[in-house]
Amino acid sequence: MIRIDDVSIAYGRGPRRVLAVDRIRLEMDQGSSLALIGPSGCGKSTLLFSIAGLLKPCEGTISIHDQPVVRPRRDVALILQNAGLLPWKTVWQNANLSLRLGKEPRDKTAAGVLRELGLYDVRDRFPSELSEGMKRRVGIARALSTSPSVMLMDEPLASLDTLTRERIQDLFLRLWHKHGFSLLVVTHDIEEAAFLGQRIIVLSDLPASVKTVVENPHMGDLAFRRSDTFYNTVASLREALAE
Amino acid sequence: MKMSGQGEPNTTRSPGWFDRLRHQGAIHQIVRYVVSIILLLACWEIASLIITAVKGRALLPDPYHAMSEVVRLAPILFRHFWVSAWRLVLAMLLAFSTGYPLGLLIGHERKLDEIISPIIYIVYPIPQVAFILLLFLVFGIGNPVKVAIVAVALFFQILVSARGAAKLIDQEHLTSVLSVGASRWQVYRHVVLPATLPSILTSLRVSVGLGMAFLYIAETTATMAPGLGSFVKSSQFNQAQAFAGILMMAFLGLILYIMIDVLERVLCRWKYVRGRGS
Repeated sequence: MIRIDDVSIAYGRGPRRVLAVDRIRLEMDQGSSLALIGPSGCGKSTLLFSIAGLLKPCEGTISIHDQPVVRPRRDVALILQNAGLLPWKTVWQNANLSLRLGKEPRDKTAAGVLRELGLYDVRDRFPSELSEGMKRRVGIARALSTSPSVMLMDEPLASLDTLTRERIQDLFLRLWHKHGFSLLVVTHDIEEAAFLGQRIIVLSDLPASVKTVVENPHMGDLAFRRSDTFYNTVASLREALAE
Repeated sequence: MKMSGQGEPNTTRSPGWFDRLRHQGAIHQIVRYVVSIILLLACWEIASLIITAVKGRALLPDPYHAMSEVVRLAPILFRHFWVSAWRLVLAMLLAFSTGYPLGLLIGHERKLDEIISPIIYIVYPIPQVAFILLLFLVFGIGNPVKVAIVAVALFFQILVSARGAAKLIDQEHLTSVLSVGASRWQVYRHVVLPATLPSILTSLRVSVGLGMAFLYIAETTATMAPGLGSFVKSSQFNQAQAFAGILMMAFLGLILYIMIDVLERVLCRWKYVRGRGS
């Protein structure tokens, strides 16, 4: 379970201090999915980095499984905008990076995840030799390699073409069902939020605060994208963002 | 119907040394070097003819004469060459092994940067030649001072490049390792070092030229001990002989450039793969 209690996050000091997140409170059950949507630069990624233990809130507390988050945790994976792959490491080295940095036993590798995602045959290639879609899958492989209980995603499919984006959204959904992690995705894409979030939090412009909460209980099926409910959710999100 | 099976000769042959070289682009590289050398010699020959015609004297020896001198003086020239080569390589190693890590630390650790950068801004613009007298006073007139003069000049060059490269590291690369709880050492090992390596190798290439200039100054100041610099200076009244020494300097620079290129191909393998794009 993720609990965010009246969290505020600020950058800078003195006259240069910028409040990025203003007293956000929310809860997320284990195994559920939640999408945070808001205008670009509203502070949603800042909140995500705080949940990942990379930024310290100036007020309030964040806890995961009833333990306060003070630094990055081994059971929380973060997928970044451009997959965060290191160009100087091969697919194999990138996928195993979290395991090696965490000093896991050498025999524990990401081979299974790479096979699951169809990347095992390209394990010796460098990221520059891969398509954008493959790079995102390597990022997912790295995140899954440590079997996390929480998966955080910071606009993971930005700058992808529509078809590739939908294919990877389908993959996220399948993996979420299969692995049972809690999924928290930050996005500015309305359709992505409607497809991946059981609950969708609409954030205000800077500083981010909760504007509206949209429940989306019918998501979770690949066919959801073509249903009327999906279009209705997208329409209500559009309205909420425009308000 | 013909079936492939046991006993059938294998029609696919393993690539030979020529194929491997061609695949690595080495043949293309060699051809480029040969063409460049021919062009350079042609320009040199033309310049020599023009100067002789204008001044009425062969002030600039033609390539044939200079190279004849290289052949004639080969044993002596190579003795000077080795002395200069080890001085330059040692100075580069000293500058690299101190300037690179210090530059990375200053560039990556904000607090250290705030303290040390003002010192660099004050010291770096001072021409390093100004320190030569001080270095002679500290190290005497032997080999150590010659190495120290070059090392001091290159140290600042590499330090400033490393600092700049460390500041330009993509934040996403740092976040991706920090988010899995990487220690400070792991951040340096997995991100800072590899991310800055290409820039530092470029800086090292620039250092070859700069190092050669300072080596000439070091080898021609105060003493006339062996070295290509002192050989060229002592041959100032025999231009063909002086140019034989200059050719050996160019040869030394070329060898160092090639060594850095090879080092880059080994250490920065990811830069040489063919990108697929999106």
